[in-house]
Amino acid sequence: MGKGGMSIDDNQGEEQNMAAWLVAINTLKIQPFNLPPLGPHDVRVRMKAVGICGSDVHYLKTLRCAHFVVEEPMVIGHECAGIIEEVGSEVKTLVPGDRVAIEPGISCWRCDHCKQGRYNLCPDMKFFATPPVHGSLANRIVHPADLCFKLPDNVSLEEGAMCEPLSVGVHACRRAEIGPETNVLIMGAGPIGLVTMLAARAFGAPRIVIVDVDDHRLSVAKSLGADDIVKVSTNSQDVPGEVEQIHKAMGAGVDVTFDCAGFNKTMTTALSATKPGGKVCLVGMGHSEMTVPLTPAAAREVDVIGIFRYKNTWPLCLEFLRSGKIDVKPLITHRYGFSQKEVEEAFETSAAGGNAIKVMFNL
Amino acid sequence: MIMMKMKMNTEMSQSEDGEINMAAWILGVKNLSIQPYPLPSLGPHDVKIRIKAVGICGSDVHYYKTMRCANFIANKPMVLGHECAGIIQELGTQVQSLSVGDRVALEPGISCQSCSFCKGGRYNLCRGMKFFGSASTHGSLANMVVHPANLCFKLPDNVSLEEGAMIEPLSVGVHACRRANIGPDTNVLIIGAGPIGLVVSLAARAFGSPRIVMVDVDNTRLSIAKDLGADETILVSTSIQDMENEVVQIQNAMGCKIDVSFDCVGYNKTMSTALNATTSGGKVCLIGLAQTEMTLPLTPAAAREVDVIGIFRYKNTWPLCIELLRTGKIDIKALISHRFGFSQKELEEAFETSAQGGTAIKIMFNL
Repeated sequence: MGKGGMSIDDNQGEEQNMAAWLVAINTLKIQPFNLPPLGPHDVRVRMKAVGICGSDVHYLKTLRCAHFVVEEPMVIGHECAGIIEEVGSEVKTLVPGDRVAIEPGISCWRCDHCKQGRYNLCPDMKFFATPPVHGSLANRIVHPADLCFKLPDNVSLEEGAMCEPLSVGVHACRRAEIGPETNVLIMGAGPIGLVTMLAARAFGAPRIVIVDVDDHRLSVAKSLGADDIVKVSTNSQDVPGEVEQIHKAMGAGVDVTFDCAGFNKTMTTALSATKPGGKVCLVGMGHSEMTVPLTPAAAREVDVIGIFRYKNTWPLCLEFLRSGKIDVKPLITHRYGFSQKEVEEAFETSAAGGNAIKVMFNL
Repeated sequence: MIMMKMKMNTEMSQSEDGEINMAAWILGVKNLSIQPYPLPSLGPHDVKIRIKAVGICGSDVHYYKTMRCANFIANKPMVLGHECAGIIQELGTQVQSLSVGDRVALEPGISCQSCSFCKGGRYNLCRGMKFFGSASTHGSLANMVVHPANLCFKLPDNVSLEEGAMIEPLSVGVHACRRANIGPDTNVLIIGAGPIGLVVSLAARAFGSPRIVMVDVDNTRLSIAKDLGADETILVSTSIQDMENEVVQIQNAMGCKIDVSFDCVGYNKTMSTALNATTSGGKVCLIGLAQTEMTLPLTPAAAREVDVIGIFRYKNTWPLCIELLRTGKIDIKALISHRFGFSQKELEEAFETSAQGGTAIKIMFNL
């Protein structure tokens, strides 16, 4: 079970800790959220900024995401940053008042995946707002100190919260080995496509082409630095023509393609457009079963790289933000306060897509 | 029977002592004919080789049955064969690394050596590749061929010419094991116990894999696999409904995490099995090139960071294969199940035998 539960007893002494609970389909309620006592290696953080993720919206709409099912009320939210209120007895790296960005997932540190550094694959991972673990859209949370990263002075709390989605882009760029020689194609200009683009540029990608079905998202991508944009359709027949357009737009071979949508058509385009010996990174999680031309791609040694969340990305993200190598602020399109009405409105806005990229709560 | 007129250039197909160079030509579907094969003149960096051993590959059989392979349609006669070894007859003027009489194994593909793939070392992906017996480049099932000296590798005294010819299929296994990073920590699942599955298992063991489980639909092939060193074998079906159960059986047979799976077949079922059976963070190597479009549980696999690695032929594998054969770390001889001489009748019989599969693993011509 995650840290905390639903109870009227408040053992904090002062104000009652409130959180946004997912209690039923399409039903969020701000209710008390009881925090556990502070362990020696924990810190208590006053939440200041929380972003909404597509998975949060998915849980709201369906009470499930992939094979995870919400079976009892759960606090939502995992993209967050805040201010340290109290530190556990063994915590030496942080002090009250420190502004921190928070890495959501607590892994077991005992299994082979953890010990080999691939802790994102830990089967016992306890991740904010992945049932049954409570999330962090709350006044305060308790969390291990080693998963709280101090923000540089010039990095805001909102940018701190953006480290979480940015981490997906950074992890993908690492796994795909993006560098000064890799021309990059990105399928999908939603929040994930955009953070992947920002990360790819920061890793040195010389040329980035991004595609989407939506003109507005493409223009946002262009303003954020895409070298070229291509509007595509949802029709599979259009793949060959679109691959040609993409190659023209790139003006060179495509070394790495990130599929940030995860549909048959986007994956088919990715596999067809990538040069021999290149990589296709499947970031987006669309359909479980996919029908794709895998064999011709494999026969050109185009590899398919899987991405799940991230590992060891916060320090690098914070450095990118500190130095200005990445500017995530333009991705925050909507802001809401932490009230019942605003929570409901915020999720509706996020779910509607369209012009909304990242919806941010300020607490 | 389709007979195509062939230009008989006796001047070039006849060597100094009057020998006419003969080769096995595919003239049409199931129409093989031993006929003269004129050789080009010897370039300064070439050698002329008297071919002694040639194996038949599935792709040769594919041309035999259909006159096509993958995207290439053969619309004129072509010499078949690419798995070969022989004895150096003549040296080009600039060749210093080989001598007449040397026994050599041949790497089939001549890449352009000037494109970015070649210069980056991934010459197997060269778009201008000229490969024996493929896409209008003549093959090597012939008395003699002319070939670049740098693609002819001298055989140690204790490695036979037949083993030399086996280096070509073995190279696919070696290249796959390199791309998949096989080593002492990687437990391996191999789907398909045909010639490719078998060379992959031999290579995986040579690379240090501690545990190898092999699966196939055919019991005979599985028992051969067991003889050649697989730790466990499992009989599977062609029915996708059985996949879930089979994945459990496979994982139980392995007894520990499956780090790398090699799909040496390339169907929806085999690839789905591989994706589901492989541990998080592991790799699935797609070697078998059967279907074009596949329907697969790709997303759940990608969400466990199971990567799919593609394999196309090989690169820089001959020296390692020779060393593995020289030291006995790999014994490839057991894969040669049938032998034929180089006559019209035996040529036809050999291809029919290979095409039937079953107990035929590697069919070898001795010239």
